[in-house]
Amino acid sequence: MSEDRGERRPRPRGGRRPRRKVCAFCVDKIEYIDYKDINRLRRFTNERGKILPRRMSGNCAKHQRQLSEAIKRARAIALMPYTVD
Amino acid sequence: MNRYEMIYIIDTGLEETARKELIEKVSGLITANGGEIEKVDETWGKRRLAYAIDYKTEGWYVLVNFKAPAELPRELERNLQINENVLRYLVVKLEEKRSAVKPRPVRPAAPAEEAAPAEAAAPAEEAAPAAEAE
Repeated sequence: MSEDRGERRPRPRGGRRPRRKVCAFCVDKIEYIDYKDINRLRRFTNERGKILPRRMSGNCAKHQRQLSEAIKRARAIALMPYTVD
Repeated sequence: MNRYEMIYIIDTGLEETARKELIEKVSGLITANGGEIEKVDETWGKRRLAYAIDYKTEGWYVLVNFKAPAELPRELERNLQINENVLRYLVVKLEEKRSAVKPRPVRPAAPAEEAAPAEAAAPAEEAAPAAEAE
C-alpha cells in the first residue's frame, strides 16, 4: 500500500505548478503594519484602490488581517483613497 | 496609562499663527486631562488628501504620540469634533508588544517518565534471580 502511494504522488519534475507565494510581511519580519506607511500599503491595493485578496497578495492570515486594518485606517484620514475612478 | 497615536488634519486655510495656536490647544488638552505628550510631529505638514474633504484637496497633518488614561481619547475626540478647523482625526491605541502564546513548560514530565521505567525494571530483575534460586 505504501508503495502504491509513492508511485501516485506527483513528481516535481514537470515544474508546471505555480510557485506558492510567500507573505511579504513575514519575509521582512514586520510585526506591526503601520497605517502611515502608504508606499508599502499601496502595493496591496489594485488600481481602483481595493484591497487585494490573499490569493493575489500571498499574505499569511495574520498579516492580511493587520494589513486590511492598516489600509482602512489610512483611508479614514485621507492618506489612501476609498475608490479611484 | 495607555500609549496612543493621534493624527489630525487641519484646514490649510488657517494661517500659521492660528494653526500653531490650535496645535498648542490640542496638546494642552492632553496634558490637562492627565495625559503625557511624547512627541508632536509636524514634519508631515501640508499634504494632498487622497480624496476631497469638504471640497478641500489639501490638509495640514499633525501627528501626536502620547500616553494617557483610557478615558482621554473620548474627551479628545469630542473636542476635535467640535473644532471646525480640524477636518479629520484618528486616535489609535498602540499595542504593547507582548506574546499571547505562553512559553512552553520545560518538559517537567520527561524526567519522571525516565525514572519510572528504571525503577520498574530494577525490582523485576531482583525478583527473577530470587525465583531461580528457589
